[in-house]
Amino acid sequence: MSHQLTVDAPRRSPLRVVLTILGVAAVVATYAFLIVSQPADVVNGPTAASALVALAGFGLAMVLLFVGILPTLPTTTLALIPVALVLNIVLGQFVGSTLVPIYLDSIGTVLVGFLAGPSAGAATGLLSNLVWSFFNPSVLPFAAGAAAIGALAGVAARLGIVRRFYLVPVAGVVTGFVAAAIAAPIAVIVFGGTATGATGAVIALFRAAGDSLVQSVTTGAFTSDLPDKLVTFSLAAALAYALPRRSTRRFEFVRRHRVLAGAKRSVETADTKAAPAA
Amino acid sequence: MTPVLTAHVRRFAYDDGPAAVRDVHLALERGALVAVLGASGSGKSTLAKIIAGWALQGGHARFSGTLELAPGPRGAGGRLDFAGGHDDPRLQLGAWGERVAYAPQRAGDLLTGAAASVGEELAFSLEQRGIERGEMRDRVRRGARAVGLEDLLDRHPGRLSGGEQRRLALGCALVERPDVVVLDEPSASLDAAGAEALVELVARLRGGGATVVVFATGVDALVRHADRCLLLDGGTVAAEGTLDDVFASAAFAESGVVPQAREREPGCPMVGAEVPATGVPLAELERVTFAYAPRRSGRSARTVLDGASVAVHAGQVIALTGPNGAGKSTALRHFAGLARPSSGTVRIGGSDIAGVPAGRVAATVGTLFQDPRDQLFERTALREVSFGLGALGLAGEAARSRAFEALDAVGLAQRADVHPYELAASEQRLVALATVLARRPRVLLLDEPTVGLDGRALARLDAAVTGAAQAGSAVVLSTHAIAWARRMSHQVLALDGGRFVGA
Amino acid sequence: MWLAVLAASAGAAAAGRVLGKVAAAASIVVVPFALWAFVIHGLFFPEGRAVLAALGPARVTAEGLAYAGGIVLRTAALVVVMLAFSTWVEVPVLRAALVRRGVPAQLGYVLATALGLASTVAERLERIREAQEARGLIVRQSLGGRFVAARLQVVPLVLQLVDEAGERAAALEARGQALPGRRTSYVDEPDSRAQRTLRWVLATASLAVVLSVVVPAVAGVLGGGR
Repeated sequence: MSHQLTVDAPRRSPLRVVLTILGVAAVVATYAFLIVSQPADVVNGPTAASALVALAGFGLAMVLLFVGILPTLPTTTLALIPVALVLNIVLGQFVGSTLVPIYLDSIGTVLVGFLAGPSAGAATGLLSNLVWSFFNPSVLPFAAGAAAIGALAGVAARLGIVRRFYLVPVAGVVTGFVAAAIAAPIAVIVFGGTATGATGAVIALFRAAGDSLVQSVTTGAFTSDLPDKLVTFSLAAALAYALPRRSTRRFEFVRRHRVLAGAKRSVETADTKAAPAA
Repeated sequence: MTPVLTAHVRRFAYDDGPAAVRDVHLALERGALVAVLGASGSGKSTLAKIIAGWALQGGHARFSGTLELAPGPRGAGGRLDFAGGHDDPRLQLGAWGERVAYAPQRAGDLLTGAAASVGEELAFSLEQRGIERGEMRDRVRRGARAVGLEDLLDRHPGRLSGGEQRRLALGCALVERPDVVVLDEPSASLDAAGAEALVELVARLRGGGATVVVFATGVDALVRHADRCLLLDGGTVAAEGTLDDVFASAAFAESGVVPQAREREPGCPMVGAEVPATGVPLAELERVTFAYAPRRSGRSARTVLDGASVAVHAGQVIALTGPNGAGKSTALRHFAGLARPSSGTVRIGGSDIAGVPAGRVAATVGTLFQDPRDQLFERTALREVSFGLGALGLAGEAARSRAFEALDAVGLAQRADVHPYELAASEQRLVALATVLARRPRVLLLDEPTVGLDGRALARLDAAVTGAAQAGSAVVLSTHAIAWARRMSHQVLALDGGRFVGA
Repeated sequence: MWLAVLAASAGAAAAGRVLGKVAAAASIVVVPFALWAFVIHGLFFPEGRAVLAALGPARVTAEGLAYAGGIVLRTAALVVVMLAFSTWVEVPVLRAALVRRGVPAQLGYVLATALGLASTVAERLERIREAQEARGLIVRQSLGGRFVAARLQVVPLVLQLVDEAGERAAALEARGQALPGRRTSYVDEPDSRAQRTLRWVLATASLAVVLSVVVPAVAGVLGGGR
């Protein structure tokens, strides 16, 4: 079978858009359910029903988002995603081993969001948790949060926040807020409010003070996600600026929305600096 | 006879940058071997990518010109006119690539990274076209045989040597039986046997009716077989015709393309007469034995150095040769303290470096690695060269002027603020060389320093080596370019059975 | 019930000759989780009544221990089942299986490439470190020294990987990745009628269980909301 030498400009396929919207709707619906049905009393042991609802709802959302987004991604983005996953895993593993409530395990996701836009960022978040679950399955239920982080990073870049460097930490904090809000109910319902490392210590501290499980876990999620996303966003932006222009200019999202600032100016200073030495 | 592929480039640039290629017309006849020669920065690699269609992928190219593919058994062909605007045709690279195959300068760039075996890697493009498994396996096997990889079909692509990886990339390009094969620097870092096999392969491809275009910075064995030649300079055609026409042209002498290597009379090396080996050698391996630990993939432990001894004195240049995988790089890594012998002694400046961290050995020893991208990690060429100068006691302005001096020595002072990744491959090697020269090492180690260098860059390299030797440094270099090695060294050694022997 | 799941997946892992690997991988995940579960719920469970021991603010309660035990068992079951799968599965075969079922080929590509890249990262970092050592870098063993070294190594790693990804995108397209149409695979996926039947039965059963739990739960919330 031979193919045409040319293709038409890519168009938005209505089917994919509907699927993506359904996926987002599934996330929102599942989340709403978890909040409404939140068990007031934990003494009777973990409730299997809401855990199953959470897993089923987010699982369905994941499938819908995959089918809706993946086939529409340009190859440039597709080739970057594995790199992002590896960065998430390598940095997450390195930093996660220290007792600082900073994980950096979404830095690659945020970088893709910056360079390739919200839907690519969301897909990267999902894929990252999927691949990571090959080594550590307990991250899989948090996939919806990871998708939200990638999507928000993309939105931030679209709004020109990466162009104004001082706004990047703010976008990070906002994203951290959303991520924590999504993660907390999952942590309570699926893992009974257990977390490891620094977040776990925070939960234990507040439980010791007599707070309810939901409150403690929520506090734990916020104390870890807010600083973590602040640092992650700042580092991802620094990385995006460290990349050579010929790498970043490959991304249509970067070109069209002028995500990165000041690339032109550095070329001019290069000439003026080099002149006296020559 | 109508050409199978015609490319007319009026102007090509990335984004709003300057034109990388302009006013080039190339018509490729069936079965022809065309050589496109050009120094670094001549637009050679960009032209290769335009013909292969890669340059048009991603949408950041400004291209005005025409690409035309004659209809053939593998596709209908067609003519694409580009005006450099937004309503230009969008090339379906998958369809173009089925008929015009391309093996890029860095072989690894062609590989998907997703395959767990050589067979899978070769099969990738066949999988994408929905070829049935029976036929696919058959074509993969034939493709592997053509490039001499039939015994390695189950090996992981990441576990191949550099030369094997290059052959794999060739195999990936050929497995679709393309009408046109575009090769960018195919002979780089191939040993003599590999280069010979490449010439044979190209002859077989042409026999099968394929057209081959080879892009190179120097005249090598493959280029000498070309029936037509195009010389690029400054992004456009400087000379065109038969090889002899082009070699005889005035433009060729000025282009910076490395002319056919000539064996010079031994005994008149460029580095001067033999230096008397007196006093304590600056760098010395004494009965060094080294074996690589067995790999997970089942490759058994392999003894690379077996009681190898060599001593290099101040002002001396020693060249190491031998086929790919003989252990040249391993020997250099021992001098730098990056590999440690399982038995035997490594002495730098007369003292044993066992237990001395490599970062401290680096105060005396400077290493140019085989792949310059492994040693480029800063945002500008200047910062790159300045990295680590602080450890030598140079700070601020002193470090800056030292770095500038080194960049100037390799001819890149004008490019000081360019991102190293934006430089051409040849310039990247020169920046890496500058990072080493800036440290003014007493012992200079150069691993395959000539690969991908054009004539001007080679001259800079020659000057750096001679300069270092005259200043009293000891130089050890490894290379496949035997003629260059004889010219640039006092002594040429070959690694044979893990030991150094005179060559 | 969770114990039964654990035993079943351990049995499956043993049959697939990966029990040792699964156990090792699972313990890396489950052991810290269990420790923290017992720290959080075992020591601090304000809702607990039956106090077994108390030390300052820490009160070990029977309810807390039971809760922690339940959660750990459930998580361990989830983890072991999934690890038994991921350790046993061969990525190329998984890719072939996904392609045959019409899953977008991109998913298999990303999975395979990410796992492939991850295995080479250590080697790349090693090469970068060597190059930096050859320029006089001495890595100190202190925490600060490790952070400095990490920053120095991560930036070049990202540069390399992103640059290669850009070139790879062109290579993938040239080799047909973006072409429309059916895909085939080089790797054979071993399958049998019995396996196929079993899969359908299991899938139907799980769907039924999920629906039987999810539907009443959702209905309950919706009903309660009115």
